[in-house]
Amino acid sequence: MNSKVNLPVRGLLFLLIILFTLPLVVVNAQDKPDQDTIVIAIDSDPATLEPAQVSTRAGANILSHVFLQLYEVGQADGSLVPYLAKDYSTSADGLETTFTINEGVMCEDGSEMTAEDVAYSIKRVADPKNGFSGNSNFDLEASGYVDVKAVDKYKVTVIFKAPQDDKLRRGLLSEMYMHCKGPYEKMTLEEASQKPSGNGPYRVMEWVKDDHVTLERVDSFPLRKGNFKYIVWKVIPESSTRAAELIAGNVDLISNVTAEQIKPLNDSGVAKVQIVNGTNRFYVGFSQVPGLPFSDTPGGKAILDPKVRVALQYAVDPPAICENILGVACDRMTGMVNKPNDNPDLKPYPYDPAKAEELLDAAGYPKDANGVRFELTLQARKRSGPGGSDVAQAIAQYLSDVGVKTEVQFLENAEFINQITNHQAGPLFLLSTGGSVWSAQYDMADFPAPKATTNYIEYSNTEYFKLWDSLPFAKTAEESRAIELKMEEIFYNDPPWLMLYQGPEVWGVSNRVDYQVRPDGQTIVYATKLK
Amino acid sequence: MFKYLVRRLIRSGFTILGVTFVTFISLHLAGDPTLLYVSQHASANEIAETKAKLGFDRPILEQYTRFLSGMLRGDLGNSLAARAPALPLVLDRLPATIELTFFAMILATVISIPIGIYAAIHRGKASDGGIMLLAIIGQSMPSFWLGIMLILFVGLSLRLLPISGQVPIIKPILEGNINEAIQNLPDAFLHLIMPAFTVAVFSISRNARLVRSAMLEVLTQDYVVTARSKGLSERVIIIRHAFRNALVPVITVLGLEFGFLLGGVVITETVFSWPGVGRLLFNSINQRDIPVVLAAVLLFEFLFIGLIFALDILYVYLDPRIRLD
Repeated sequence: MNSKVNLPVRGLLFLLIILFTLPLVVVNAQDKPDQDTIVIAIDSDPATLEPAQVSTRAGANILSHVFLQLYEVGQADGSLVPYLAKDYSTSADGLETTFTINEGVMCEDGSEMTAEDVAYSIKRVADPKNGFSGNSNFDLEASGYVDVKAVDKYKVTVIFKAPQDDKLRRGLLSEMYMHCKGPYEKMTLEEASQKPSGNGPYRVMEWVKDDHVTLERVDSFPLRKGNFKYIVWKVIPESSTRAAELIAGNVDLISNVTAEQIKPLNDSGVAKVQIVNGTNRFYVGFSQVPGLPFSDTPGGKAILDPKVRVALQYAVDPPAICENILGVACDRMTGMVNKPNDNPDLKPYPYDPAKAEELLDAAGYPKDANGVRFELTLQARKRSGPGGSDVAQAIAQYLSDVGVKTEVQFLENAEFINQITNHQAGPLFLLSTGGSVWSAQYDMADFPAPKATTNYIEYSNTEYFKLWDSLPFAKTAEESRAIELKMEEIFYNDPPWLMLYQGPEVWGVSNRVDYQVRPDGQTIVYATKLK
Repeated sequence: MFKYLVRRLIRSGFTILGVTFVTFISLHLAGDPTLLYVSQHASANEIAETKAKLGFDRPILEQYTRFLSGMLRGDLGNSLAARAPALPLVLDRLPATIELTFFAMILATVISIPIGIYAAIHRGKASDGGIMLLAIIGQSMPSFWLGIMLILFVGLSLRLLPISGQVPIIKPILEGNINEAIQNLPDAFLHLIMPAFTVAVFSISRNARLVRSAMLEVLTQDYVVTARSKGLSERVIIIRHAFRNALVPVITVLGLEFGFLLGGVVITETVFSWPGVGRLLFNSINQRDIPVVLAAVLLFEFLFIGLIFALDILYVYLDPRIRLD
């Protein structure tokens, strides 16, 4: 066979090279954001931009620029800052709160935003026919909402079934996005989920599904002026791709930076990593639910004993987990309440395995010939990050080290959530639940009653729940605070959780912009500017 | 031919039924999806109401029958996450996936065939060994890893190509904006190179090996020897006589390749933030958005079956000895 045959292979290869390089000459390979634009990488598409339904962080961040809330949660101190509402008053019996809203706020359809629109927004969420199941539903339910009515053009009164802490009530209502009656009455639910009609400082200019959402500044918005004309939310699901885009200068903010990306980003010269204690509380739940398959096992029975649950706090070292697995420093939590509203008198349980063993011995759980006191299963999900599989494995090892032989059982996400919500998870499970920086009671709302849906472990400390029920009747803020502190102390001494940490918010921020990461993970950038 | 087409249509119907049944049952067996669509704080009543509203409280076979009857009407239900009809959501992403798959297919073809032929006619030489070694590496490399390496090297270090995202071509055409599609072409092409190469690399490697072995087999056939003894140039022998006959098995694989590439885009679309059906499917599986998963699976299935159909017809023209009746 003649191997020197002159086939057009080389020609083809040459053609390919030309074909591939030609566009490089014609267009710029990478488009960097201009002075008028800030680009934020998000890990998932918002799926819906329905103001009454949104339940993802990405969706909420976008809608926070498009719709108004009554109050805004302040940046660092957790204060509630007036936004659509100028002020409020509560009736003497604590059952009605009246908000006065700002004049001159315009809806996208050109009408003025009035108290009628606020009442409509709340009623629309509450209407079961609409079938909304997002954050707003929880907020309304948790506030004890009964009804709402517009008193005049700019005053709206919300009626509740029981008195409640003022700040908690305003905070809950302020998590809802107020929208305008005119456009939303005309839209079907499907249209409303895809084409938001806003009233905030930005409007949705373009939404290309799974690719990007572009917001454009509304220059006539009276309450504030955004520094950037455009905000682009670019969907980049893969964390290493987000980091690469940040280093390349194509995006300005990225979330969920992983441990191994921190150093390269800090060394890149174009971005820095910002780390703050987030509001998601990570913990291991000790199930106290009776009648489950594990309830009668030695391990299942052992964790019903508060002495065992306290002993196990000493067996685990959350700061070491943070440092070695997550690559960041963090403090151990003392309960379910985030800083700065936690009880300052409570000190985090130190890592002291010897003490853990001593307490377990004293509680009546000595080691057998194999060095095992009892066995437990820790349920978790296969994922990375502060509630991920590496953390679960580390916790299991810490517990096994003090004689509590712990095996990790990884569950598929939906099955895990299914078991958690139905109070069937356990005996141990690694979970996080969202908290706040603005209210201790908001954080405590995970445990409103022994059989409440969110009390996944069916914690039933009588004294704790007696105090919880007394909270709405506290006459002063000081009295209310004293009750909160006492409840936190009870939680500390009879812990239903193996306390871990407030999940760190780890963000990459371009050196181009002046941005401060918030603990609650909200990305509010209207005030962000170029350096 | 007509009888054959009818037979194939009937068989395809059963295939579609089988795949939807398995997908439907396995998605439901993995747990109750209702809880993912109520607030974390929902009461038992609220959960029960939502379950009834979504129809998840009905026996599974009844749910499946409803799905089938909806499918015949083109209604695959509403996405539980987006609260919008599932089929349009999937169809909306299809152009992006078709662009990626089609371009990957072109890459796989235009690269694998010449190098396969080149390796065959240089059999036993260093260049043949080199090509086959690269082919083995290409087949063993995980696409996820390759994608990230391309991003870091070509996108980040060399800044030659865009790191992520897509610039559409087909979508503007479908919307009647031909000018926009033309304007997008250079940028779209740049955005396509890395993800398409990532999707195609396995196929390039496999097809190069296949072309090489098909060519080697054909080159030893009597008619090639005859052609050579007639004094035909080696170029004519290889292109006109050998390659055409080596093409039948290659076409078979290339056709199936399109289906294979469609499946392969799931991870690549995630790595390169490509807004296609693969990524939607991946997210929907994670979110247990059953209507969207079923719509996407069904769409892939239709595409694949349609392709096999087209290929069967193509064989007849390529090889007149094949009779479909």
